Amino acid sequence: MSRTPGLLAATGIDKRFGANSVLRNVSLSLAPGEVHTLMGENGAGKSTLFRILAGIHQPDAGQINLDGAALDLRNPSAAYGHGIYLVPQEPALLKELSVAENMFLGMLPTRGWFPSRIDWKTIRGQAQDSLSALGLDVDVRDDAKHLSIAQQQLVECAKALLRGCRIILFDEPTSPLTGREVGILFAIMRRLRAQGCTLGFISHRMDEVSEISDRVSVLRDGAVTDEVDRGGFDRARLVRAMVGREVIFDRRRVRREAEGEPVLSVRGLAHAPVFSGVDFDVRPGEILGFSGLIGSGRTEIAEAVCGLREKSAGSVTLAGQDISTSSIGDIIEAGLVYVPEDRARHGVILPMSIRDNATAGQIGRLQGKSGILNRGREIAIATDTMRRYQVRARGIDQPVGQLSGGNQQKVVFGKWMSTNPKVAILDEPTRGVDVGAKDEIYRLIEELSAQGMAIVVISSELEELIVLCDRVIAIYGGKIAAELKGADVTAARVGAAFLGAEAH
Amino acid sequence: MSNAATAASQPGHRAKPRPRRRELREVTLLIAIFAVVLGVGVLRPSFMSFSNIEFMILSSVVLGLAGISQTFVIITRGIDLSVSAVLGLSAMVFGLLSTTSSMPLWQALPLCLAMGAVLGSFNGFLVAWLKIPPIIATLGTYSLYGGLTFIYSNGLQVDQVSPNFAAFGNGNLIPGLPVPTPVLALAAVAAAAWFVLNHMKFGRNILAIGNNAAAAYNAGISVRRTLLAVYTISGALAAFSGLVFVAYTGSATATTGTGDHVELQSIAIALIGGTAIAGGRGNLAGTVIGSVFLSVVITALVFLQVPAIWYSAGEGLMILAAVTLGARRSSKA
Repeated sequence: MSRTPGLLAATGIDKRFGANSVLRNVSLSLAPGEVHTLMGENGAGKSTLFRILAGIHQPDAGQINLDGAALDLRNPSAAYGHGIYLVPQEPALLKELSVAENMFLGMLPTRGWFPSRIDWKTIRGQAQDSLSALGLDVDVRDDAKHLSIAQQQLVECAKALLRGCRIILFDEPTSPLTGREVGILFAIMRRLRAQGCTLGFISHRMDEVSEISDRVSVLRDGAVTDEVDRGGFDRARLVRAMVGREVIFDRRRVRREAEGEPVLSVRGLAHAPVFSGVDFDVRPGEILGFSGLIGSGRTEIAEAVCGLREKSAGSVTLAGQDISTSSIGDIIEAGLVYVPEDRARHGVILPMSIRDNATAGQIGRLQGKSGILNRGREIAIATDTMRRYQVRARGIDQPVGQLSGGNQQKVVFGKWMSTNPKVAILDEPTRGVDVGAKDEIYRLIEELSAQGMAIVVISSELEELIVLCDRVIAIYGGKIAAELKGADVTAARVGAAFLGAEAH
Repeated sequence: MSNAATAASQPGHRAKPRPRRRELREVTLLIAIFAVVLGVGVLRPSFMSFSNIEFMILSSVVLGLAGISQTFVIITRGIDLSVSAVLGLSAMVFGLLSTTSSMPLWQALPLCLAMGAVLGSFNGFLVAWLKIPPIIATLGTYSLYGGLTFIYSNGLQVDQVSPNFAAFGNGNLIPGLPVPTPVLALAAVAAAAWFVLNHMKFGRNILAIGNNAAAAYNAGISVRRTLLAVYTISGALAAFSGLVFVAYTGSATATTGTGDHVELQSIAIALIGGTAIAGGRGNLAGTVIGSVFLSVVITALVFLQVPAIWYSAGEGLMILAAVTLGARRSSKA
């Protein structure tokens, strides 16, 4: 259990999916006992590389050595056999089965000769012990579907250890986690490292990367562009290696005091116990930030404003029109749209083309009197969406599911913006989006606001709020805890408000 | 590290205290059965007679066996539309053999299971190796196997079976115990199926595949071989139910099984019993009780002198009612 694994080295890895070359002559080595981070834009090939190391994909060329010996990783079981385990981006626990059974999946111990019965007692005992060792307090008899994503990730760690794996690869584990959950995950990663495990890590978040990594490798377009040891971390250098150009991060927009009549007014919005007493206004051309932890009620408030969720009291006025009780269709028609956080679930229909997705928000307007869709306008809208929002794709008929996260988000944007809303509420607009695409999305948001659209950005990233917003409202425990504007919009104050430390 | 431990155990972060609510589906179904029996019994007292109750239980055996095979397949996210065709073919083949070739039961039984296994394994091959969606693969074999029955029977039909078949279908295996042999057979099959599903690797692999086949494969489970085995067992059980049917009724025609839409009835009772159509979760006790429920409903329609043209519609309404109530219950949980 305590033996440190050897050096895991991948050399000259090539991988193509169809016509798409994902990795080109990539070499990467994970030194024993280090936390080695892969950075790179979405679509750079990071996940593919990890999946090759874990035996899920097989490389077209190149080889993988552990301690000098060549490995044949033809399936994940072979990788486990060599002590390599991948914690997938979306934890793949089997929802209807117990946590304990999930941990022993594929290696359920049995007792007796015939018929050999599954030894549930041993399974539960060992599962409970290994979770307790990681500080996770859940009942292993519970169905896996009751666990949060953070808990599922820790269960995956425990699965790795149960299989005797000492090289654990984490594929972008932190993007669905809250700040506190990231802290817990990092504590466990540090402990695993202290116990001699080698850890691979993928993240887009610069502060996380510099906090946890011993070494960073940067991938761009399927090739390694830089490799930096701890101590040599330099934000600008890493970003340049990732994006291939300079990205101005610290640009501080001028925080305007928007004037004029509010286009959206919310008064006394409440739905106990989730949120209560919510009052706010947004003016044309203003970018309002909604900060708060996950669970603070920020998403619920936004959904209630947009008619997607029940409210027990309060009024919502859009451009002088009371829309408190309007249907979702009427609210969209009146000019208020909500772009949800979970793209795959609510934002786009992944198997459908860019054309179908981009026009989905206004399909009614594309219908002629005959009820037949106007194909020409459909194509025009989709083409325009691609151009305006700089969607990188083969063409308007490519399924959205094949695009990178950033490009998917741009399609979602295009879809909603093509309805010409007066107010857009964007929930975590850059979640799971890489640095380059993030920058482009920020530009888009600023452009829309410059054209007079009122925008509400819900975010748990401090940096995003500070870079983007004219004004920030902090939600804490379902209430507006603070409002910051002008010079008060600083990392320290927004951060404090976030955690409920700033008084109103 | 106590840091991580305490943070992880704070409220809101921990899963809710384990909601070990017992699956109440069986209880609900039993109550529904008693309600129908009592309700119809008040109007038609003979409905509650011992002989009628025995008849209803006996006639649920064939459905129950088909339902168990269907339950296994549905757990894998699949479906087996060919169960009724296999049932019919088996009833025809062994019904005829019992009289024309005087085949004894002890020979017919293993042959029947083997025939069903071969037919089922062909389904498994189509699904697991050729990657044909189960509903399409078994729709094809439904017609194919149903057609084989017509070809084999060539206009003949079974109107009587040999005495040892009839004894198996109607007699009591254990002298003194007033339980018909088919009921014992269903009990044995159900118990074995329960054991396999809950206490054997094979059964857990079936559930794992139904939850997420890719994750199961990644965990080293042989998805193809498991699916092949599931469809093979489904075929064998369907053939066995055909043997029970012909032994019990002493008759079979070229449309036995398919004519009554046993494939749809078996799906219905699995779903009524609490097996998830999306796979990954199954309830064998529910399936068995569900088969009794369906048998009671069908018999009740006869006793209430509902015109025969209404049977199918009435049966469908009861199935919809049961599935709807079940779905509401589980979505509330």
